[in-house]
Amino acid sequence: MSRRDTRLPARRRRTLGAVVAGAAALVLGGCAQDAPQDTWQPAGDNAQKIHDLQWPVFLVAGVIGVIVLAVVAFAVVRFRDRGQPMPEQSHGKPALEIALTILPALILVGVGIPTVSTVFDLAEEADTECIINVTGQQWWWEYDYPVQDGCGGISAPIVTSGQLVIPADTNVLLRLTSRDVIHSFWIPKLNGKKDTVPGRVHTLRMQADEPGIYAGQCTEFCGLSHANMKMEAVALFPADFQTWVANQLEDYQAPAEGSLAAEGEATFTANCAYCHQVNGLTTTAPDGSVTPVLANPDEFVVSGAAPNLTNLMTRNTFAGATWDLLTEECRDRVWNAPPEEFGERYLAGVSADCLNEVDLREWIRNAPAKKPMYATADQAANSGGKFRGMPALGLNESQIDQIIAYLLERH
Amino acid sequence: MAIIERPSTPAVVGAGAGAPAVVTPSQAYGVLRRPVAATGWRSWVFTVDHKKLGIMYGVVSLFFFLVGGFEALLIRLQLAGPEGTVLSAGLYNEMFTMHATTMVFLFVMPMAAAFANYLVPLQIGARDVAFPRINAFGFWCFLAGAIFINTSWFLGGAADGGWFMYQPNANALFSPSHGIDFWGLGLQITGIASLTGAVNLIVTILNMRAPGMSLMKMPIFTWMILVIQFLLLFAMPVITVALFLLMFQREFGATFFDVSAGADPLLWQHLFWIFGHPEVYIIVLPGFGIVSEVLPVFARKPLFGYRFVVFSGAAIGFVGWGVWAHHMFASGLGPVSVAVFSVATMLIAIPTGVKIVNWTMTLWGGKIWFSTAMLFAIGLIVEFTIGGLSGVTHAVAPSDTQQTDTYYIVAHFHYTIFGGAVLGLFAGFYYWWPKIFGKRLSESLGKWNFWLMIIGMNLTFGPMHIIGLQGQPRRMMNWTEARAGEGFFNLGFWNRVASVGSLILAVGVAFFIVNIWVTHRPSSKTPKSELDPWDARSLEWITQNPPKEHNFDSIPTVHALDEFFHRKYEVDHDTGEVTKVASAEEILAAEEAKADHHIHLPSPSYWPIILAFSLPVMGYGVIFNRFLIVAGALGVLLAMFGWALEPSVADDSDYDPPAEGGSNKELATIG
Repeated sequence: MSRRDTRLPARRRRTLGAVVAGAAALVLGGCAQDAPQDTWQPAGDNAQKIHDLQWPVFLVAGVIGVIVLAVVAFAVVRFRDRGQPMPEQSHGKPALEIALTILPALILVGVGIPTVSTVFDLAEEADTECIINVTGQQWWWEYDYPVQDGCGGISAPIVTSGQLVIPADTNVLLRLTSRDVIHSFWIPKLNGKKDTVPGRVHTLRMQADEPGIYAGQCTEFCGLSHANMKMEAVALFPADFQTWVANQLEDYQAPAEGSLAAEGEATFTANCAYCHQVNGLTTTAPDGSVTPVLANPDEFVVSGAAPNLTNLMTRNTFAGATWDLLTEECRDRVWNAPPEEFGERYLAGVSADCLNEVDLREWIRNAPAKKPMYATADQAANSGGKFRGMPALGLNESQIDQIIAYLLERH
Repeated sequence: MAIIERPSTPAVVGAGAGAPAVVTPSQAYGVLRRPVAATGWRSWVFTVDHKKLGIMYGVVSLFFFLVGGFEALLIRLQLAGPEGTVLSAGLYNEMFTMHATTMVFLFVMPMAAAFANYLVPLQIGARDVAFPRINAFGFWCFLAGAIFINTSWFLGGAADGGWFMYQPNANALFSPSHGIDFWGLGLQITGIASLTGAVNLIVTILNMRAPGMSLMKMPIFTWMILVIQFLLLFAMPVITVALFLLMFQREFGATFFDVSAGADPLLWQHLFWIFGHPEVYIIVLPGFGIVSEVLPVFARKPLFGYRFVVFSGAAIGFVGWGVWAHHMFASGLGPVSVAVFSVATMLIAIPTGVKIVNWTMTLWGGKIWFSTAMLFAIGLIVEFTIGGLSGVTHAVAPSDTQQTDTYYIVAHFHYTIFGGAVLGLFAGFYYWWPKIFGKRLSESLGKWNFWLMIIGMNLTFGPMHIIGLQGQPRRMMNWTEARAGEGFFNLGFWNRVASVGSLILAVGVAFFIVNIWVTHRPSSKTPKSELDPWDARSLEWITQNPPKEHNFDSIPTVHALDEFFHRKYEVDHDTGEVTKVASAEEILAAEEAKADHHIHLPSPSYWPIILAFSLPVMGYGVIFNRFLIVAGALGVLLAMFGWALEPSVADDSDYDPPAEGGSNKELATIG
């Protein structure tokens, strides 16, 4: 691909930039090693463009700051009252004033020109190679992949949540909207943020140089659980991405008859499937007729949506990416994977050994106790009986066991 | 003088319609006597004196500064460690919403109004503002609105939508408590204070300056206040409209921002920020005006480039209208708008930079006296410069999309608002305290006050730059170890530093309160201040400390910028040598010797406070019971008629015992 040729010099430029930026950062307290949402560690073209623009500005601002503070400090020490006579009553020097007005104006022209060109650069949509629709609602994100030739080809719609899976080294265009209030989509290492506004569709470019997980968070205040509305972008090599797509589109696998998971399927259908869609799930009536189970979250939830759980265990998080589905040890294995091994580890999904059962169990038992939401009956009274988030379902422990067993098979 | 005198001949209205109706406003219409007491609580509650109103503005806003500070401490306590549990999610959201609301609307704005009310008439050589009863009405509206907003804490919860109340999150569906109703209606009421104050001060400054004081000889503080009043005059109507739309949307089912009805929630953002951006200059320019007074006094030389400071202030006020969308770089405006507003935002850095240059050059070549007021003023130059420069980094729109709604922005606006506005106000406290209260605050406690506040603010807000660039969004009730990172820049460490810093800041502020107590407690040994404790330069010092009720025995005639300085000192224009030719006492004695013998001051009135406190009754009515709207409206109507029919000067019969020789009292009886 021709893209690769252009990327190498870009990397070298980055190294150079990083050295200079490092110096600026020491002054301004920017760049650091390990916070996953560090805004000074771009991992894709778009974030890189922003970074290339911002570090010189920080540097210039830092230098000006140091000069001003040094002049003030000097004046304060040099011209302190040491018994000298009353100073000359000078009213100013217009030439100096004008010079010191023009100088910052010139600096700002120097900043303004690349700013404007970067603004237009980042709004470019013509080079899109893959489109994903992103919808925010209190307090989670839904990702849906329309049928397209892009993204290496997607033959049927995929609806998922928790983690935005994208092909690496590909120009992805996110089409963002919201079902309730304004949210903001932000994966700092891949691009700046963009608000998701109900009734509007905004676009945001995404591109990740290498496979890996990139953390993000909703950044427009969106109510009670704003802090618990996180997201993760997962980049996979295009081949791995195709594996992921194929996996998402696999037919429904009913649990083995008589297994705990099979009981779970019935419990799930009776308690969860009102809101949560599992594609391919069916019920069989006493007369033998088979009907698909269709979720209808519109009736129960203010936003009118609940996460699609068809392939829950291919994701690593749940409840608005607030909790991990993986135990800490397994999570670290995925997060710390070198790029070439990342795809394999991620695509393994969540196995029974790796499942973080503690948090998942607490969540199913009493979701509003774990994540602040308006999901009790009194609170729902304010919104026409509809919840904002998952209510406590009053399930007993064996029902929860069944549901977990069932969900564990949702690969 | 624009103070209305009692007409000596009957006014004629309705001429041309048969027999003219004759109205003599001096006639008493009410059954109650005018509250003419010169002492006791009545002399404060019913006063129309700009100085008493200024002090009351100051006391109330200082109280709300402490309230807002307490809210801030709770927020920092919550964020001191991961997964904080000091506050619930809902209470946390109320806390940061009310922290901002309190600090912006109930502290910085009214504290600026306190200074403006007290000082503008003194600085321009006037005996009061143009409309004294409207001035009183403004203060009581502010107090009524402030109380109204804060009663929400006890009536189902305070506002929880963030101080910019983005739609649709601020709708009744998503914020079912009455908090946002209290917030919106309360700000309408305090908004009346801002608007009446703006009209009042503009008229006062443009019409009531002492003879000889051309606009370019006007003290710089008054200039900045004038710019601010024009900003308020045009900005308050915008937020008023927005708040009405919000009220109708929440209370009466309107759909101004409702997507399903074809509207766009971004309309709210535009309305809010068209108000909100001028608002930040409304907040910060008083501080700029104060330090522009303080720096020359303590550097013993005139403000460097007075004209540049005036025009840059006006330029900030003007360009400030064209940058509102920089608060919305991430809201999807499209690249053309973003580019335009990005460049406009950079433009505003230029006049702001001019001010910093001029302040620095004022210090240059001076003879600097490090009084507490001066320390705060120098602190402002330093801290505001940091805030201004971080502002430039997010004028760069693409860079802003990484920074907006993170703690980096929180750091930025605290450096500008705390470092710009609040440090300026503290410089003003220490500088004008002897003018207003007749005693200097303790300088040694003042130094503690200053250094602890400076250290505290840098420890609190400095780390927020790091926290924000490390990706921590604002308005989150907690942060988690999983996203905190490790190493030098880890969020955990710097969040703790910020929390410790906030405690130091609080102790610094406590020193200010202690300082007031130590200076004014009954057993205080603090002597009465000298007449001219700082060797000041402007007109407000050519009168006693504190000034008499009528400010000046005779209105000074102005010949120069820094009039007072030029009366005290003679400057040899060839050598630049400065010689003292008169003392402050001599100058004052000369002025008092030619005292005016007929000074008319308007009398106190019941109506402003009655009118103002009828408004929250209507507010409660909107929220709880529509009958209360009617009750409040009757109060409004009564007060308006009472006010309209009340003469500006009390009738002789209002005095007990009745005044003799007419209510145009001789100097001796009012002084």
